[in-house]
Amino acid sequence: MASTEAVSGGPPAALPRVRVPAWTLVLPPVAALGLVFLHPLALVLWQSVSPEGGGHGFSAYADVFAQAAFRDALLNTVLIAAGSTAGSLVLGFALALVIAFVPFPGGKAVGRFIDVFLSFPSFLITLALLFVYGSAGMANGMWSGVTGAATGPFDFLHTPWGVLLAEITYFTPFVMRPLLGAFSQLETAQLDVAASLGAKAPRIVRQVILPEALPALAAGGSLVLVMCLNEFGIVLFTGAKGVTTLPVLVYGKAILDGDYTGACVVAVVNIALSLALYGLYRMLTTRMDGVRRARA
Amino acid sequence: MLVHSPRARLAVQAAFFALFLPVFALPFLVIVAASLATGWSGAFPSGATLDHYRAVTHGDALDALTTSVLTAVAASAAALVTGTWAALAARGTRARRVVDLLFVLPVAVPSVVVGLSLLVAFSKPPFLLNGTPAIVVLAHTILVTAFAYQSVAAALDRLDPACEQAAASLGAGPLRVLVQVKLPLLLPSLSAAAGLCFALSMGELSATMMLYPPDWLPLPVKVFASTDRGALFPGAALAVVLMVTTLLALFAVSRIRTKAAYR
Amino acid sequence: MSTGIRFDGVSVAYGGNTVLESFGLTVEPGEFMALLGPSGSGKTTALRAVAGFVRPTAGRVFIGDRDVTDLPPHRRGIGMVVQQYALFPHMKVDANVAFGLKARKAPRSEIAARVAEALEMTGMSAYAGRYPRELSGGQQQRVAVARALAVRPGVLLLDEPLSALDAQLRSGMLAELARLHRELPDVSMLYVTHDQIEALTLADRIAVMDGGRLQDCGTPQDLYRRPGTAFTASFVGGANLLPVTVADGGGVHLGGTRLDVAAGGAAAGAPATLCVRPHLVGLGEGPNALRGTVAEVQWRGATHRLCVDVAGHRVTADLRELRETPPLGTEVTVHFAAHDAVLLPAGAGGGEGRG
Repeated sequence: MASTEAVSGGPPAALPRVRVPAWTLVLPPVAALGLVFLHPLALVLWQSVSPEGGGHGFSAYADVFAQAAFRDALLNTVLIAAGSTAGSLVLGFALALVIAFVPFPGGKAVGRFIDVFLSFPSFLITLALLFVYGSAGMANGMWSGVTGAATGPFDFLHTPWGVLLAEITYFTPFVMRPLLGAFSQLETAQLDVAASLGAKAPRIVRQVILPEALPALAAGGSLVLVMCLNEFGIVLFTGAKGVTTLPVLVYGKAILDGDYTGACVVAVVNIALSLALYGLYRMLTTRMDGVRRARA
Repeated sequence: MLVHSPRARLAVQAAFFALFLPVFALPFLVIVAASLATGWSGAFPSGATLDHYRAVTHGDALDALTTSVLTAVAASAAALVTGTWAALAARGTRARRVVDLLFVLPVAVPSVVVGLSLLVAFSKPPFLLNGTPAIVVLAHTILVTAFAYQSVAAALDRLDPACEQAAASLGAGPLRVLVQVKLPLLLPSLSAAAGLCFALSMGELSATMMLYPPDWLPLPVKVFASTDRGALFPGAALAVVLMVTTLLALFAVSRIRTKAAYR
Repeated sequence: MSTGIRFDGVSVAYGGNTVLESFGLTVEPGEFMALLGPSGSGKTTALRAVAGFVRPTAGRVFIGDRDVTDLPPHRRGIGMVVQQYALFPHMKVDANVAFGLKARKAPRSEIAARVAEALEMTGMSAYAGRYPRELSGGQQQRVAVARALAVRPGVLLLDEPLSALDAQLRSGMLAELARLHRELPDVSMLYVTHDQIEALTLADRIAVMDGGRLQDCGTPQDLYRRPGTAFTASFVGGANLLPVTVADGGGVHLGGTRLDVAAGGAAAGAPATLCVRPHLVGLGEGPNALRGTVAEVQWRGATHRLCVDVAGHRVTADLRELRETPPLGTEVTVHFAAHDAVLLPAGAGGGEGRG
C-alpha cells in the first residue's frame, strides 16, 4: 500500500501501546520547584513553630508579637504599602490617560522608556533621591545657594515619607502598563461619540474611560500593593533607622541578629499578608481577559 | 482624542512632561551625572572625573560585574529551561491550573523570605549550599522562573495549533514538532523572556543580601556596600555600569527577536 | 494500491456535547468525497477524526484496512491542507515541502527530487526559495497542497482549503484541485466545505451533513436532481419546498390545486413535500400552473428572481432576465414540468426553500 510505504518505520497499526499520560511531563519541573522553593518554605513554617529551647509551639510567635519593633514594622509596612499604592494609582492613571488619549510626538518613546524602567532594580530610585534630596544634594544645594543658609530644609529621605516617594516613583509604571493595555482596547469612536453628544473631557474620563479602566486599575493596584509589601531594596538604601518594614525585619533578625526562628515568624506573617493580597490580584486578573500582566 | 482645543492640549502635554520628566527621567540623569563627579555643590555636580569608571575596570568592582553577569546568565538559562518545560508540558492538560499557580507563587512571596528559606533549607548536609555561589544562583533562578513561565505560557496560548497539527499530519513525532516547529515559533517570546530574566537577576538585591558568600558579591550588593559607607559617587558609577549592562542585554535580545519575527 | 477511508459508527463529544453522532461513511480508494454542511454540522470534526486530532467517543476509523482510531496523527500516513494554510513561517517554501519527507525518513537522495516534483505539480517551482510571508494567499495554499502531496499520502484531507481566498483566486484553485484529482487517481480525498459550488464541481460523491449527522450521500447529479431529504434539497442548490398531499390516482394537491407529478408508491392522502428548483419554474401558462401574486422581484443581472405567493406559500422562480417585470401585487401564473419535480416524504425537514 502506498501509505504504509510512506510511513515506513512506524509500528503495525493495532499494536497495543502503553501510553504515558501527557500531564506526567510536568512532573520534573514541578519536582524541581518543590525541592528548591516549596520545601524550603515549608521548612520556614516549621522552624517558626520550633523555638530555640526545643519542642514545638507558638511561643516564638508570642515573643515576636510582643516586641514593639515588630508591631512598628507591621504598621509601617501596611501604611507605606497602602500609601504607595494609592499614590501610584493616581499618578499612573493620570499619566496613562495623557499618553493614550492626548497623543503627542514621542509618545511611543515614552512607552518604551516605561518598559525599560520596569526592568531596572528599585534601589536605583533611592540612590537617585539621595542625590536630589540628600543632605548635600541638589535641592538642598539650591536652597543654600539662594538663601545662604548652611543646611537646606529637605530632610525627609530617612523618614517614611522618603520611602513613600521612592516607592510611588518606582511602582507607578507598574500601574501604567496594564492601564495602557486597557486603553488601547477602548474604541476611540466611543470617545468621539461622547464628545459629539456634548460631553466635556472630565465627564468623558469619569463616565466612559474610568469604568473601562477599573479592572486594569484593580489588577495593577493589587500587584503594586503586593510588591510594596515585599519591597526591600528601597528601604534598605534609605538607611533609615526609624523606618523598618517586615522584609527589613526578616533580614535584620536572620543576618544581623542570627535569630532564625524569629526571622521565620516574621517571614510567615509577611507571606500570609502577601499571599492573601496576591490571591486577590490573581482573581482580578483572571477576570479581565486580554489585558496582559504588568511584567509578562 | 480627548482634548480638542489646541491650547488645552498643549497645557495638558506641558503638565505631563512637568510631571513625567522630573519623576521618572531625572533619577537616571542624576545618577549618570553623579557617577562623573566627585562632589555636589549647589544645584549641580562638581569636580568632573572618570576615576569612578576607571575603578570599575579592575579589582573588586570588575569582579562584582563578572559575578552579576555570570549569575544572571546561569539563572536566566536555568529559569528559561524550567519555565519553558513546565509551560509546554502543562499546556492543554488538566494540570494547567495547578502548574500556573505553583509557578507564579515566587512572585507573591517576598524575595527576602525566599532567601531566608534557602538559608534554612540548604545550610546542612546533604544539601550544604550555604556559603557557595550556587545558593545565589539558585535564589535568582527561583525568583525569575515565575516570569519565564508566565511569558512562555502566554506565548503558547497565542500560538496557533494549526502549525503543530500540520507538522503532525505530515508524520512528525512530538519531539520533531517541538524542536523544528514549536520552539522556532516561540523564539521571539523566549528571547523576550530571557531578556527580562537577565534584567531582573542583574538587579536582584533582596534575596542576594541574605545569601551572598564573601567570594561571590554581585553588583547590587557592591552598590549598596559602597553607598552604605558613604561613597555615593563611586556607587553611582557602579549603578550606571549595572544599568548599561542590563540595557545592552535587552538590546541584544530585541535584535534576536526582530530577526526571528521577520524571518 | 490505493487507500480509502471508512467511518464506522463514529461519535465525537466535547464535554457532553455531541458534535458527531454515529457517523458512518466509506470513501472508496481514489474517490473525491466532499463533506458538505453548514457550520456546526460536524463535517470538520469528521475530518479531524481521520487526521487524529479528535478522539472518537465511540466507533472506529479505518484508513485502507488499518484501524487508525488509536494511532497518533503522525503515524496515520495522511496529507492535510487547512483553511489558514498553516505553513511553517520560519522555513522557506522548499523546506516546508521537504518537512514531511524528512519526518518520514525518506532517503536523503530522493528528497530534492520529490520536493521539486510536488512544487512542479502545484506550479510553485519558481518560489522554492521564498518565505511563506512573501507569497500571496493563493500561492501559500498551493505550497500547502504541495507539502501535503510530497509525502505521497494515500489519503488527502482538505479542510475548507479555499475559504480564505477571494472569489477570483478561488475559481482558479477550484480548477487546479480538479486537475490534481485527475492526475492522482490513487489518492482518496476528503474535502470539507460549506460551499455547494465547490462540492458540486469537485466531488465524485457528496455527503451532506447537518446537526452532527449524515443526512444524505450520493453523486452531485443525484443529490441535485433527486435529493433524498428537504435539507439536502435546500442546501444543495436551493429549492422550493411545498407541503402537499398525495391525491387519489397519482398527482398531489397543493391547497386546492391539483398538480401532476409522479407520486411513486405513496398512499393517497399522505402528506408529502414537493421540491422544485427555482430555475425550473417558468412564468406564464403551462403544465402544473400555479396562480399567485408577486411578492418580491430581485434583479440579479442575468436573471430575475420572482417570489410569488401561491395560496400562502412562497414560490421562487429564477427567470432569464425579463424585459418587463410584473409590478408587485399583480396576479401571475407560474408553472413547472412534471419531470422537474421531486416528491419527498413529509417530515424530512421542511419550511420554505432558500436560494
